Amino acid sequence: MKTLKLAREDLDLFAAVLQQFGVVHAPVRDRGSVRFQRIQRWSDVELKYTRTVLPPKKYFLPQRETLLYYDKNGYRPATDQLDERIVLFGVHACDIRGLNILDEVFLQGPHIDPYYQARRSNVIVIGIDCLPDEHCFCRSMRADFVEKGFDLFLYEIGEDYLVLVNTALGDDMVLATKSLFHPVTRADVEEYKTRSQALRASQIIDVEIRDLPEILELEYDSELWQELGSKCLACGSCSMVCPTCYCYDVADDITVGCNAGTRCRQWDSCLFSSHAQVAGGENFRAQQADRVKYRFYHKHRGFVAEYGHPSCVGCGRCTTVCPVGINDVTVINRLLGVSHVSH
Amino acid sequence: MKKILIIDDDVDFTDSIATLLEGAGHEVLRARDGDEGVALALAARPDVIVCDVMMKERTEGFFTIQRLRRIPGLEHTRIVVVSSVYDAIPAFKVEPQQSWLRHDAFMQKPVDADELLRLVEVSA
Repeated sequence: MKTLKLAREDLDLFAAVLQQFGVVHAPVRDRGSVRFQRIQRWSDVELKYTRTVLPPKKYFLPQRETLLYYDKNGYRPATDQLDERIVLFGVHACDIRGLNILDEVFLQGPHIDPYYQARRSNVIVIGIDCLPDEHCFCRSMRADFVEKGFDLFLYEIGEDYLVLVNTALGDDMVLATKSLFHPVTRADVEEYKTRSQALRASQIIDVEIRDLPEILELEYDSELWQELGSKCLACGSCSMVCPTCYCYDVADDITVGCNAGTRCRQWDSCLFSSHAQVAGGENFRAQQADRVKYRFYHKHRGFVAEYGHPSCVGCGRCTTVCPVGINDVTVINRLLGVSHVSH
Repeated sequence: MKKILIIDDDVDFTDSIATLLEGAGHEVLRARDGDEGVALALAARPDVIVCDVMMKERTEGFFTIQRLRRIPGLEHTRIVVVSSVYDAIPAFKVEPQQSWLRHDAFMQKPVDADELLRLVEVSA
């Protein structure tokens, strides 16, 4: 891993040359919100953002995608657009952590998801650091810093960026524009440390999660779940905007005459009433309270048991989109018996 | 006779080049920025595109060319880049052989009129 310096004023040139590696997508302010989308020009890009509406998972696990086409003669996988090369510029550490978590789900074990795998190998990730707001708790979730899952990472130091080169492909990108990059000086290192300390100090929320799985086990029958269940609308917005929610539904679109069809998958949510319903009509989580509880348990207990860490990255998206104001940090602190959220 | 699209925010330059090309019998369309250029390219499907780099932004032409290449039917349209970008940023020269910009020729401003005409009239 090596570190170089790039002037902020040269970022547009760097992004222009990056087009040789793929279509450049970056955060763009659109209709009042910031979204990752293909950029038409560098001035559209907004790098000083807190969070996008949808996380980068939409590039790897699209909201809806065709898996295969079939007819009476057989089937073939849908490989359209799987080989599209994309450069995803300006991804925050928490979202990269989210991608790493999705990698554990889709790329490990005996059943690797080929669609996710293809997209993951064709999307280049360039991270950038950020300033948290009052909803961020990535530091509590150990997601404010990442060591893998990206090709380059930019840390702002005054009028420049410290650029961490993490992969051979990242090195290729630097070499393609080598005239723009410069060695890091001692002063740059000190500037980085100062900023890093400032970022740590700026996190308003501090949540203790180490014994949260045990607390959740002890609070299985808490009144809190009924309270949340009566409040929750089961809209699924929290799942849609979550960097690590990965539940999906699979359905067939069949032509009239039943001669051919397509099999598609689309995002689902454990908060939807039908999510835990099985053939025969039995619904294992018919009650709203059970579904709300399940979501918290999956994120902070079930995932810990299976993968050794929670799947929440503390990005704050669920809190900002919930129409009834359910705040994950408030819920966690109530479970922990903590009356305040700040540190 | 070719249909030529000029994308450049320099009105004087565009007018002079258009006069040259129209005098040689070609049809000339003009766009003042990348958005206008892409819209005209979509509508008119030119045979040749003459594109500046530094317009409202110093890299506008770079992104515009990539957008043009994504238009079905324009993937192989002849693109001649005409710019003074390498005077402004000499360390950032991109040769046509380097595939990332996907252009066919580059001319430094101010251009040689005969050379521009020759590059535009080259057959595919």
